[in-house]
Formats: sequence, C-alpha cells, structure tokens
Amino acid sequence: MTICDRNSSPEEIENAVDTWLDAHWDSDRRCAKGDSSYDEATWLKTVFEAGFCVPTWPTEWFGLGLRQKQARIIEKAFAKCKAPGHSRDRFHLGAITVFKVGSDELKRAMLPTLLTGPICCLLYSEPNAGSDLAGVRTKAIPDGDEFVITGQKIWTSNAQEAEYGMLLSRTDWDVPKHRGITFFLFPMKQDGVEVKPINQITGESEFNEVFITEARVPASHIIGNLNEGWTSFQTAIAYERLIMGQGITERQGKSKADSEPQLIRLARKYDKYDDPAVRQKIAQALAYRELNNLNMERAKEEILKNGSSSLMSLGKLAMSRIQHGEAAIATDLMGNEALLDGEESLDAANVNFDAAKAYMNSIGGGTDQIQKNIIAERVLNLPKGPDLDRNTAFRDVKSS
Amino acid sequence: MSQISDNDRQALRDGFARFLETNANEEKLRQGIASERGYDEGIWGQMAAMGLLGIAVPEDLGGIGGGAVDVALVAEEIGKKLLPVPYVSTCVVAAELIARFAPVSVQRELLPKISGGTLVVSVGGAGDCIPYADDENSLSATHGNDGWAVSGDVSYVPHGGHADYHLLGTMENGSQALYLISASENVSVSPMTSNDPAQRLSRLHLTDAKAVKLEGLAPSGLGQASMRSIAAAAAEQAGAARAIFDITMEYLRTRYQFGRPIGSFQAMKHMAAELLVEVESATSAALTAARMIDAGSVDAAKFVALAAFTCKDAFRAVSAQAIQMHGGIAYTEEHIAHLYWRRARASIPLFGHSDHYREQYLKAREAAL
Repeated sequence: MTICDRNSSPEEIENAVDTWLDAHWDSDRRCAKGDSSYDEATWLKTVFEAGFCVPTWPTEWFGLGLRQKQARIIEKAFAKCKAPGHSRDRFHLGAITVFKVGSDELKRAMLPTLLTGPICCLLYSEPNAGSDLAGVRTKAIPDGDEFVITGQKIWTSNAQEAEYGMLLSRTDWDVPKHRGITFFLFPMKQDGVEVKPINQITGESEFNEVFITEARVPASHIIGNLNEGWTSFQTAIAYERLIMGQGITERQGKSKADSEPQLIRLARKYDKYDDPAVRQKIAQALAYRELNNLNMERAKEEILKNGSSSLMSLGKLAMSRIQHGEAAIATDLMGNEALLDGEESLDAANVNFDAAKAYMNSIGGGTDQIQKNIIAERVLNLPKGPDLDRNTAFRDVKSS
Repeated sequence: MSQISDNDRQALRDGFARFLETNANEEKLRQGIASERGYDEGIWGQMAAMGLLGIAVPEDLGGIGGGAVDVALVAEEIGKKLLPVPYVSTCVVAAELIARFAPVSVQRELLPKISGGTLVVSVGGAGDCIPYADDENSLSATHGNDGWAVSGDVSYVPHGGHADYHLLGTMENGSQALYLISASENVSVSPMTSNDPAQRLSRLHLTDAKAVKLEGLAPSGLGQASMRSIAAAAAEQAGAARAIFDITMEYLRTRYQFGRPIGSFQAMKHMAAELLVEVESATSAALTAARMIDAGSVDAAKFVALAAFTCKDAFRAVSAQAIQMHGGIAYTEEHIAHLYWRRARASIPLFGHSDHYREQYLKAREAAL
C-alpha cells in the first residue's frame, strides 16, 4: 500500500507518516509498538515495507517516488520520535551505489537485504593505495561463477557489524590501472575475512584493517561491469564526499543551529569574550560554518533545478577549514587548560578530540589535496597533470 | 516585496549581461576611467533606457518597485565588469532614502530623474554605515528662515565631483540626521588622490549649503534602506570577485610553461580550488542577504552583515591571488587584474569596514540565541 506519493501535499505526507509512526513506533520505549525491546532487523523490515527507508526512490524499487523536499518531511518525523531506518537513500552508501549503478538483477536480489541490514562497509584503501586509490592490489580471480579474493584493506569503519562491504579489487593486471578494477558487493561474514581494529589519534577505534584470504564473492555481485569498477566507484565516492561536506563526522550536538556555539560558550567561560580580536576570530569561524550551509542550500536548489550542482564538491573542503579552524580557536581560548584531557578537564577533552577528529574530514574520503585536484579538474576545467602510470600495464607500475 | 516576476527578473539580468558583454569591454572601462566623470556615460544612459536605474524606485514615482534581489542581480553584473558607475549610491542608497523620507515634492522631482539617468547623488563613504559618515565629517545643520543649511567638511565621497546632489549625515542629539544638498557654489569639491583610479573620491567643504532634511527617520525604514544598500554593494563585490576569478582560470588553461598549461600544476589547482570556495561563498551570502530582506526575515540584518564582510574579503582575497597566479603579466599596468585588486582594496573600508560587519554579525548571532 502506498500511503503517500509525488502528488501528496506536505500536510498529507506529514499526516501519513505521523499516523504510521503512531501505529508502529513506541517513542517512549524506543522500539516497535507492542515489543518490549528494540529489534533492529524486524524494525528495519517494517520501515522498508512502508517505503520510508528510501522515499525518493521509485515505487518499483522499494521507495515512494517522492521529491527530496517531500522526503525531508519523513526524515523530520522519524528524527522527532527517534525512530531509526529512515533516509537510507541519503546515507546508506552501499544501497545507494547498488541502486545507481547495479544491474536490475543485483538490485532485485540485494537491495531488500541491504536496506534492512546494517550499512555496508567500504573496502577501498589499502596500505599502498590511499590517495592513489586506483592502485589497489587486492586480487580477484574468477573461479566458476564466483571470484576468489585475496588482499588487505584499511580504514574500514563498521567492519565488525557490516554484512556486506563495497570492495575495490584488481581483475586485470595487464591494462593500465583504472581499467582493470572491478567493484564488488562483498559478503563479510565468511571464512577468510579477518577484522582488526586500528587505534586512532582521537582515542577511538572506529576504523579497521581487513585481511582477506581466499574469500569468495558471487560474480553476480559485481556492481556495474567487470573491469569497469573505477566508473562505478565514482558514484559511491561522490556520495561519500557529499555526506562528509555536511559535517556528518562531527561530534554529536557540537554545532546545533539553535544552541549557543561552542566557541562563544568557551570565550565566555574563559573570560575572553570582550576581547575584540577574539570576537573577530569567533565571528569569522561562525561565518565559515554559516557560509558552508548557504552554499549547500544553493547546491540543493541547483540540484532540484538542473539535476546537479558543482557546489556540492566544495562542502568537504570547506568543512576542513571550519573544523581545524574552530579547534585552533577553542584551544587558544582555553589557555593552559588545553594541556589537560580526560576527567581532568571535559572542555579540554572535547577540544582536543575535535582537533584530532578534524583530520577525519580533511584526510578521510580523499585528502583535501586530492579534493582540490578534483575541484580544479572537474569543476574549473583545469587541465590534468601528467599521470606517469596512466598508460602503463598495472603489473609494471612502480610501487613503494 | 518585488513587483517583478521570476521570468522578468531573469530576462532583465540576461539582457543586461548581454549588453555589457558587447559594450563594457576593458577598453571602454579604461576610456571611462580616463573621462571627466570617471565612467562611461553612454552605458549609464543605456542602463536608464533598460529600466535598471529605477528598480528600487516605487512604481508610482516612475520606477519599477523591485526588491533587493532585483537590485542585487544588476549590481552583480556591474561588479563583474567593474563599471565605476554611481549605481549603488544613486539608485539604491539615495533612491531608497528619498522614496522613504523626502518630502513628496522632492520625491516627484528627483526620483524620475534618478530612474532616467539624469541625476547623480553622491553619498559619504567613510564611517560604519550607509550613508552616514561619522568618522570623518564635521557637518552641522542650522535652521533659518530659508530652511535648513549645512556647513562643514566631509571626506571620502565617491562621485562627489560630478554629483547633482549630495546625501550627507550628521549626528544631532545622539541620533542620525540626513540632508539632501544640491551641488552649488556653497559646496566646494576638491578631489582626493585615490589609489583606485576608478573609485574617485572627493572632499566636500560646505558653507551654509541649502539642504532638504529627510524627516521621520524611523529606525525600521532607515534599517531597511541601509540593509538594501549594503546588500547591493555586497552583490557588486561578489560579481567582481567571480569575474576576476574567471579571468584567472582562463589564463591557467591557456598559458603554457614547461610544455604544459600552468593550470595543470597542483600548486595552481590548489589555489584555484581554495578561491572557488571564497567566490561561491560570496555569491551565496549576497544572494541570501537580498532574499532575506525581500522576505522580511527577522534574520535579514544578520545575513546582510555576513554578506558585507564576506563579499569584501572574498573580493580582496581573490583579486590579490589573481595577480599572483598570473605572474609578471599582472604586475603591469596594462593588465586588468590590478584594477580589480584596487577596487577590492577600496571596498574593504568604504561604507563600513569588514571588521565592523564581522562584529555586527556576531552581535546578531548573540541576539538570536
């Protein structure tokens, strides 16, 4: 049953989703109505069947065919009562990529599984392929209607929980690097997949190394076409950068629009808020954040009007300046207290964490330097630099 | 609120941009700068014919009754071509204030002339708001049998040398007063040597100059006029920043060294990408400020302050790096880059310094908490 569609008014959608949530979600206990505790798999299935997982996708592909603006109404309603499972068409990178570039067969077979399961992990980087990601060396060797995978991946978040990962692998070593890559939807829960957490400079361990030894993936799980993985991968990475440009990697609640910005709070606390020089710095920092929001709003308008916007590629770069800049100002405001950490000073712990975490934005998903190259080449049409290995068979490419 | 439909607005902008493409090249710009008034009067006349000069003038007084967005679109195109025309001072600041606060007879006399391009009004550029010049002027007004008379000095007046009227402010008992003063023998004008040849500045010396006092300066109306003026100036700067950026990108694509276009070097690409953030931020800020004004938003003042310093600073940063990225060629007088850079540097203090608006922005953020 479709409870709202493209022709529904905002009020109709709001009513439909509120009524649905009332009937299915227990806001107080944070679980499905009638249940005593939250069961993720069952709840996600309920949301999926109502079409609320991916409201902007067409009805034949598990969505409601809604416009972005209409979908935001659903997102808000879910967020208001803290019900999970919504907006997977914005944040489930694996499902989005399969939906955008996968074959109909793969979409039919895997989208219901992906949308009702944990989000996919990303098996991209390797110890020897970071910024130069097209240099991946993880082998995929055909064996009947399967491929056998061997290699090492790094910087993988959610590797423990994920049931599937999007895997960049080498399927042809005798062509230049971009042309021998295949992109797989790879099952994580199997022998030959070993996950090892990485200790990060933030004190967290959200990333892992993934060691893959003769693990298997069906040939039908190729996302896009054999040896054309680099093209399919572009869709996935573009969405990832887009999500990062919205500050998703930040500490929760750090920059809520309606609350006092952290910098103002700290300046007041450390009695520096009347210093005109401090005020100039804080004003500029707040402005950078507001300007990035305005650019992203403009991007959304352009996307609604023209289907795309080059402004989107600026968000992640702008966010790096915002996060590193705010952390530096906050550190200066605290004076000696910034030397502390942990229980000794919660403010210092937060600021020191933010200072380290800012690298998550400026390195993760492609360093700022790579992002600047991309902006220069794709948005500004500046010519590419010489690529020494562009026309060399990958097996002859030098590596460290 | 604007009386102009979205389609008409787009047509207006496109028509003006096309006109400028053929009529406002660098040669014309330089001829204008060298001319008596400092700008091409032919272009000014054409702008009047296209209806652009009366956008901010109410319909019943011969104008179009447009909103801040309409004005911003025109200002942006003016900025792109660096036209040194008195658009913001005459057609925004003066038009807004006259339409709100001048006696009806004065409105009927002056506003049609503003729309028609036959009347230029100068506005004092020093001080922290438009149009009042508090730092540098020593004006005082007296009321006699003949009405108001203003005496004293005021500096940093763009277009002061050829304006038909001067719109000047004084502080009276702690609040702002505004006077409209016609150019006469009681106003002696001397040029100030300005760094930007296209932004000519004058010093005015007034001796009992006859003046029309603008009455009933309600804070709301004054605030509206001021916000619209600042937003227009910001849009002009955003347009100028984009234009010199585009000129620089074109150079990076076509200038070869070491056997390859210099834009293929990462050193250049990284500068370009960083500057694009500034250019787009300026555009977004200027557009948002104008939209917020038109929507009557309570946040309008905040976004106007944001646009004010963002566009000034972006223009300076982009035009300064434009010279650097061009290299030696832009160190020459005959290259256009320095004209953008000079205008940008002049834009920082004029009509309120960037730092002033940054502080205003922070105050507005605090007020909203």
